[in-house]
Parts: sequence; structure tokens; C-alpha cells
Amino acid sequence: MNNPFEKIFNYQLSSRLEETGVYTLTSQERSWLKSMLEHPAAHEALEPRTIAKLQECVLDDEISNLLDGLEQKAGSLETQIVHPLLSPIRRILRNRQGMTIQCRTKKGKLNEPQPGIPYKLEYSMVKREWYLHWYNSSTRSILHTRLCHIVSVEQSRVSRTSYEEQTVRAQKLFEAPRHEAVVEVIRTFNAELTRILHAFSCFDKKVEFDEEERTYRIHLTFTDSEGQFVLTKLRFLGKRVRVVEGNYLKYRMRETARKALALYGVEGANAVETSDSDQSKAAEGSADAQKAEQSSNSKNAADIIARTKIPG
Amino acid sequence: MAKESFDKEIQFLRLLALTGGGYDRQQFAGRLGISVHTFDKTVRKLREISGDADFADLFRYGYADSAEPVLLFLYRAKSMKESESRRLPLILTALKGTPQTAAELLDACCERLPLDAAMPDEKTIRSDLRYLEEIGVVRREPGGRPYRYVLNNDLTDCLSQKELIDLYEFVDIMANTQIPSVQGYLLRDNLKKALKSAVPEEEWDDGLLEPFSYKYHYDARILDEAHLYTLLRTIHLRKRISFQYFSPKNRKSYSAKETNPLFGRETEVRRESTLPLKVVYDHQYGRWYLIGAAAKGRFVKFRMEGMIDIAEEQEAPDEYFALKKQQLDEQMRHSWLIDTGETVTVRAKFYRPRGQADFIAERVRLQGQWGQIVEENEDFFIYEIQVNGVTEIRPWLRGFGSSCEVLAPADLRQSFIDEWKEIGDYYE
Repeated sequence: MNNPFEKIFNYQLSSRLEETGVYTLTSQERSWLKSMLEHPAAHEALEPRTIAKLQECVLDDEISNLLDGLEQKAGSLETQIVHPLLSPIRRILRNRQGMTIQCRTKKGKLNEPQPGIPYKLEYSMVKREWYLHWYNSSTRSILHTRLCHIVSVEQSRVSRTSYEEQTVRAQKLFEAPRHEAVVEVIRTFNAELTRILHAFSCFDKKVEFDEEERTYRIHLTFTDSEGQFVLTKLRFLGKRVRVVEGNYLKYRMRETARKALALYGVEGANAVETSDSDQSKAAEGSADAQKAEQSSNSKNAADIIARTKIPG
Repeated sequence: MAKESFDKEIQFLRLLALTGGGYDRQQFAGRLGISVHTFDKTVRKLREISGDADFADLFRYGYADSAEPVLLFLYRAKSMKESESRRLPLILTALKGTPQTAAELLDACCERLPLDAAMPDEKTIRSDLRYLEEIGVVRREPGGRPYRYVLNNDLTDCLSQKELIDLYEFVDIMANTQIPSVQGYLLRDNLKKALKSAVPEEEWDDGLLEPFSYKYHYDARILDEAHLYTLLRTIHLRKRISFQYFSPKNRKSYSAKETNPLFGRETEVRRESTLPLKVVYDHQYGRWYLIGAAAKGRFVKFRMEGMIDIAEEQEAPDEYFALKKQQLDEQMRHSWLIDTGETVTVRAKFYRPRGQADFIAERVRLQGQWGQIVEENEDFFIYEIQVNGVTEIRPWLRGFGSSCEVLAPADLRQSFIDEWKEIGDYYE
């Protein structure tokens, strides 16, 4: 029986057991592990010897049978769950040591090896990929590098004092400034509230409900690097939501709408210069200038028809 | 005694996770369909279980930096008698390493329980052992009566320290990136204890417990695993079910039972009935669906979060179940999520970013499911997919903003134009 509400998991019992150092393992946990050992990632994460030992202990197979009834949809391709560099980098992190790291750039150019301190290994549930956050000792800056762009990592000795100094410096740099924005759910879409909240549920947020106006407002807090994903979610939800506070997001949404309409030859905007997902951040101030340009360039109907024609 | 249900707690935690605790008590209680008094009681209970002082903070700031599942404590809510929560640790401690008989365990309990505590009898110990054996926590040693029992921790006992660390990290990754995950998180908690006893104190490092972090997680997804196995089992056994259903469009997500006729509600919640065929997890929103066959064979879809008070009904005939399952698989072959409507061909043109790595193509390859790139050059590529209806794929395409131009079908193209106009107007 797989009942996740088992008495043995009770909080009082587990806190009493905590003091004794005794722990319990149930069939359902072993059964879950068994189904995970069947995943190809197991062979990348564990030695064959370990897998063999574990398989001896996980004979219960109820979960694996039941999982036939479960299907996953709209997920990303799972290109990478366990990366071969996780284990050597974890070792350097555990030893509190420095490293010499060589990476490729996004475009594939090979950089010179750099001295650094690994800070944290992070998996993005969106990109389905591992990242190393690290401190570059020579440029004194922090970097987020995809593990697939790392060509080699070697442990290098640093003194305890130097390690700690650099970690403190890195920590300060990693405390990225946080931005705030308020997103309003357009009232006619209130019935879709849970869907909308689900879309934002991976962000730091607080929802406020205005009883009088029957309006939901989502207060979001996010870092620079999360901003791009917030934008994707806003576009994803389309007309259901509107940014009411947060100039940068407002500006980007206005630009998205303008450029998207230009693709369809509507409202006569210029042909696409930069794509929307362009990560280079245009200055706030240029928005008005671009708007002026937009209104002065009306395209004629023939042009619209030409662009609407479906190629091939 | 009625089976302990956690529906109210689950609905509350879901609201909390989704809103970040932004509602006041009245608003929470109203949406849960319970009184403010019941709401306060629920919160008190959950607070005691979680050991956390402030729920509102549970979902703030920490979300990106911790691999700790904030809602896991729900699964520790099963109640237990005080006497039991004192006796079981004594039994489990005694069973670690040395096999014991029920009589020996009784002695151990009587010796260690405080004098004023109620002393168990051998029958109680036997029933404890039966329970522990049933859930796989203890094992009966080979040999005749009197039976000897021992704690079954072979899984961790057979591993070296290095292997244990490897296993912990593997479980951490799989629980966080795969579905289902509740048992994985529970196992992870136990492996933490195993690590603590395996690693000598002078070598201990708290970093061992949080090896990795995970970004952009849907915290609330583990709440639906409460009903997952009940549903998967009914699919396995081909049993029909009946349940109370709160559509997500309904403002209330729970409602108190009418134990007091004075407080009878005006609107009756309907009981639905279906033959479960498939559970679907939607990665796009982090939500769960149950798809079943209704009485006349039509396919019906339910959001799992709206289902409460699920009861098993009679079994469906083998052939009927197999037929419906096969029809559903066939109809869902082209579902972006769960749409079983008519299949259409969607064509979209994606523009490559200039002067930088092509993250657009990468994202389409990663998330575009079974769609194909049918034409490409250095400026753009054309993506084509056969999909049931356009509703479910639409948000994904729109998420690309002005890097994506819908080419076909024509009405989808037109609706994108209309929607971008509308969005543009929001920011004029």
C-alpha cells in the first residue's frame, strides 16, 4: 500500500526518533527508489556496484507498476539530469578548495583556463540543465556557467583564509538586487485565477485581493536573471494579465506587442530589428522615441497581404 | 472511525502556496468554504506539525535557494496517540541491530517508559510489530516461534560512506526533478539521518545535506500526490470511483460537511462518477489531471486539485477498460496537454536572435514536443506540429513574444494579431 499519509511519518514520532539517531525506511520509499533506479540517470549518478547493492534491497515494486497509469505532458526534453561534472565539482565544494576552470562561450569559443571558487550547483527546472555559480578569482566577478560549457575543472589549493575571503566576496555579489513589479489579473479573467497563479507559482510573490474592485494583484519580487523568465510568463498568459507597476516590464511588454504586430504587418511598424527575447536590455528612455518611429511608419494594405501570405 | 482526511489542509496549503499568504483570515476561510474558527484551528494544527512560526514567510525568498520541499510537512500530519509516539521510538531503537521477540520488546518498553506512563501489554506490542512489518520498516527473522524482528535498514547498512553520499545526492536530484516525488523527499529525510550517523563528527559538514539547488519549482505540485496513489490504484484495478468535485472556476475549493443542519449550505456540491483511465501531469503549469470515461463512454477530464472525498466503486469489465484506454491513448497522441479535440496543423515561424547564440531554436527543440522544424535558414526556421486544438499550444507560442509568428491556421494567426493589439493597448 502506498499511502503517503502513513503513521510512521508522523511529526511527533519523527522528532522523538531524531534524538535517538534511529531512522526507518518503508516499502514505499524503497519502491520509489526502485523506479528511480530504472531511470538512465541512475547509471550516471551511481557506481554499478552501488546500484547492484541497492537493487538487492528494493524488491517491492508496487509503485513501478502503478506508474503505468501516469503520463507527463508539455515537459521539456530531459537532456540532462545528472551531469558527469557534478561529482568532481561537489568534491571541490566539499573540500572547500579552489579550482582551475576552462569554459566555452555560448557561441563556442574556447576561453583560457581561469582560477576560481565554486559557489553553488543549480538545476533549472525550465531549461532542464545544470549551472555552476562561481567566483572568478582573477576578475573578481561572479559567473553562471552551464555545465555543458565547461571543458575542464581541476581542484587547486587555496589557503583556508583566502577561501573564506573569496567566499564572502562571492556571497555579497550573489545577493543580487531584487526588483518588484505588480501584475493585475484582468477582471474578466478572474475565473482563470488558479491557472494564472500556477503560472507564477515558481516566483516569490504575494497576491492581494481588492474586495471592492474584485481585482487580484500579484506582487512579484525577482532578480535580474529571473526577469527574463517573468517576461516569458507574462507573454505566456497574454491578455489575462497586465503589468501595473514595474517600468521595465511595462516597457518590454509594449515592445513585444509592437514588434509582434510588426511581424504580422499590422500598424505599420518597421521590420523586426531585434527579437523580443533579446537579452540585451534597451534603455528605458528609448521607449518613447521608438513609439514615435512606430506611428510614422504606416504600411499599406498590399504590404500587409504580402506578409500574411503563408510561405511554402 | 472515519478515515482521517487532509482535504481541508491540502486546499489551504495550495491557496497559501499560490498566493504567498496574501489573503487575510476571512478571505482564506471564505475561499475554503469553512468558518474562520475552523480556519484558525486548521492553521494551528499545521503550524504545530511544521514547527514553523510564520506561514506567510514559508514561500518568500527561500524558494530559489533551498532544495527543502516546504510543503512536505503535510505528509507528517497523520495523527498518532501520545502513548504510541512514546512507545514506537523505544521499540524501533531496541530493534536496531539486534533481533528481538515481542516479549523482549515489552520488557524494553516497560523499563524505559516513565513510571506514570500507561504500560503496554504484549498484545499491543504484537500489533505494533504487525504494523511495522506491513509497511516494511521491520523484518521478521527466519526461524520458528517466538518470532524475532529486526529493523530493516539494509538499504543504507549495505553502503559505504561514499556510496551513501552518492545515494543521497541521487535521491535529492530525482526527488526534485522527477514525478512523483513525495516518497523521494521522505527517503531523502531518512538518508539525512543515515548520513549523520555514518559521517564522523569531525568530518561533518552541513553542506552535505543541501548539495544542490533547484530553480523555478512548482511547490504546490506535491500536494496532489496525496490522491495520486489512490487514483493510480483504481486505474490498476479498473475500478470506478465517485468523488466530490470543485471545478477550479468555482471560487470555493472545499466545503465543510453538513454535520449541523442549521448550517446547511444552499448550493449542493455534485458527486461525480467516472472510470479513471489516466493521470496526467502538466509541466507547463505544474498541475495534475485525471482523465476518465463517463457513464456513456465519453472522456471526462478533472483537475486533481478539485477532487475530494474519493470513493472506490465497482470494477469495470476488462475488455471495456482496455477499449477505452486504447481509444484515449489514440486520441491523446496529439494532445499538447489533454485536449482530445480535432487535430490541426500549426505552423509557426521563429526568428533567430541576431549576433548571439540561438537560444530560440534551443528552446523550441527543448519544449516543442513532437513538432518538427520543416524549413530553416540563418534568419528563421519554420516549426510544424499536428496538435489537438490550438488552445493548449497557444500560450507556449505566445511566450516567444515577437520571436514567433504564427503562420497557420489562419484563425490562430488572426487571434494572435488581435491579442497583441489588445496587449499593446494595455501599455499605451
